[in-house]
Amino acid sequence: MSEELDLALALLDHQLLDCEGRRCGKVDDVAIEGEPGETAEVVAILSGPDVWRARSGLVGRLAARIAGGGRVRIPWEEVAEVKSDIRLKKRAADYGLGRGDDRLRPWIARIPGADR
Amino acid sequence: MKIFQIALGILAAIGGFVDIGDLVFNVAAGAIFGYQLLWVVVIGVIGIIVYSEMCGRVAAVSKKAVFDAVRERVGFGAGLSTLVAAQIVNLMTLAAEIGGVAICLRLLSGLPYRWLILVAIVALGIVVWVTSFDWIERIFGYGGLCLLVFAVAAVKLHPDWGAVAHGYVPHLDTEDPLLYFYFAVGLLGAAMTPYEVYFYSSGGVEEEWTPKDLGINRANAIIGYGLGGFLSFTLMVTGGTLFLQQGIQPDFLGSIALGAEVPLGEIGLLLALVGILFAVGGASIDTLFAGAYNLAQFLGWEWGRYRGPSGAPRFTLTWMVILVLALGIVMTGVDPVQLTEYAVIFSVVALPLTYLPILLVANDRAYMGRYANGRLANVLGIVYLVIILAVSLSAIPLMILTNVGQG
Repeated sequence: MSEELDLALALLDHQLLDCEGRRCGKVDDVAIEGEPGETAEVVAILSGPDVWRARSGLVGRLAARIAGGGRVRIPWEEVAEVKSDIRLKKRAADYGLGRGDDRLRPWIARIPGADR
Repeated sequence: MKIFQIALGILAAIGGFVDIGDLVFNVAAGAIFGYQLLWVVVIGVIGIIVYSEMCGRVAAVSKKAVFDAVRERVGFGAGLSTLVAAQIVNLMTLAAEIGGVAICLRLLSGLPYRWLILVAIVALGIVVWVTSFDWIERIFGYGGLCLLVFAVAAVKLHPDWGAVAHGYVPHLDTEDPLLYFYFAVGLLGAAMTPYEVYFYSSGGVEEEWTPKDLGINRANAIIGYGLGGFLSFTLMVTGGTLFLQQGIQPDFLGSIALGAEVPLGEIGLLLALVGILFAVGGASIDTLFAGAYNLAQFLGWEWGRYRGPSGAPRFTLTWMVILVLALGIVMTGVDPVQLTEYAVIFSVVALPLTYLPILLVANDRAYMGRYANGRLANVLGIVYLVIILAVSLSAIPLMILTNVGQG
């Protein structure tokens, strides 16, 4: 029980950072595997609006619909470090994270003075 | 050099403390209740000091801002509700502040209000786009120091100092206790406005504070907000001396500036208007960014002025959209002073879910190590959480019962 609580506190809803320190989403859920009686293991981190559906009932489903869905699964082996942030081994784009920012960047960059 | 920097930061914090909510509630409370409610401002100022020190410390040690903490501690569902409430209140506050800027510009220039709203929005957009974080803080913080003219005005109006001193002792001497409590709630809400902690904690991350900066954090919070509270006193004393005797209800920002004109003449009026312009202008920038910080932090997007506009595209787009939404609200012609009252009272309702996660994270030794809350911070933190909870439960009923302070 205590480990379960620790897991929720130490991972769930924490910030994801890629290998360059870029903020690229939150830990929206974790995938856990393990037979009854065995030690359960976190096998992946799940991130993206689709994951919210399973989290907070109606509110989560509504938020997911507004945000337009999308889900990324990051295998646990890709996690470099767990501190107050979760640091990943590769760049955000390699996992399909931070795509909203990447799509919007060219438009923002057109405004004079945007590249500072 | 370091002392110099700290002094600059403190000056900015003093000027940055007062916004349209403080102006409206302090002067109006003075006009109706004289100096009776000064003690509430003391409670509010200590509250904002306690919680901004805490979230500045969390930002310096763990690099987390308020909505990171909210989401981690109360989870997705409750966190999302807090976010929605915070964003609505924030937008109302921003619209009110921009309206306030336009009113000041109108009083200074005599041009039509709606044109000046556009001027205010374009000017804010440009300032935000080209000026760096610390310069924004400084320009508006120092400009806001012109409000010190109200300290001179308060003295020149020769208040009954015995009655002023008595105002710092909680007492209830009125035929309308509901209105008294409505103003108490409003004054607390105005002093402890949530956007201040959103902005303050995110600013700590922006300026890349580390545990070495904890001294600056403490000085900014205690001295800066403490002296900012002093400005609130002078506003209430001015209101209590000038307007209570004349039976005037200062329903317009212009009449607040009158408080400096009556004892000091033209120059008093000019300083008051410039002070209000910068204080309210600075507050609109804080509020604008607070909204963008909150959304980005809740969703885990890249954020921050230190990343540059194209380093944090969704964050940049968010504040642009918020600015346009606020423009739409002010352009409807809604009265900024009335909007302020609603924004302050509603913000009180959202306070507990903002402050609880900060208290929890500041206590978590896993992140905070030896910088976790000490006993004093915890006792004060819990006392204030209880106060905030009581106030937030009574805010809406009081607003309805007093007909938004109209009695």
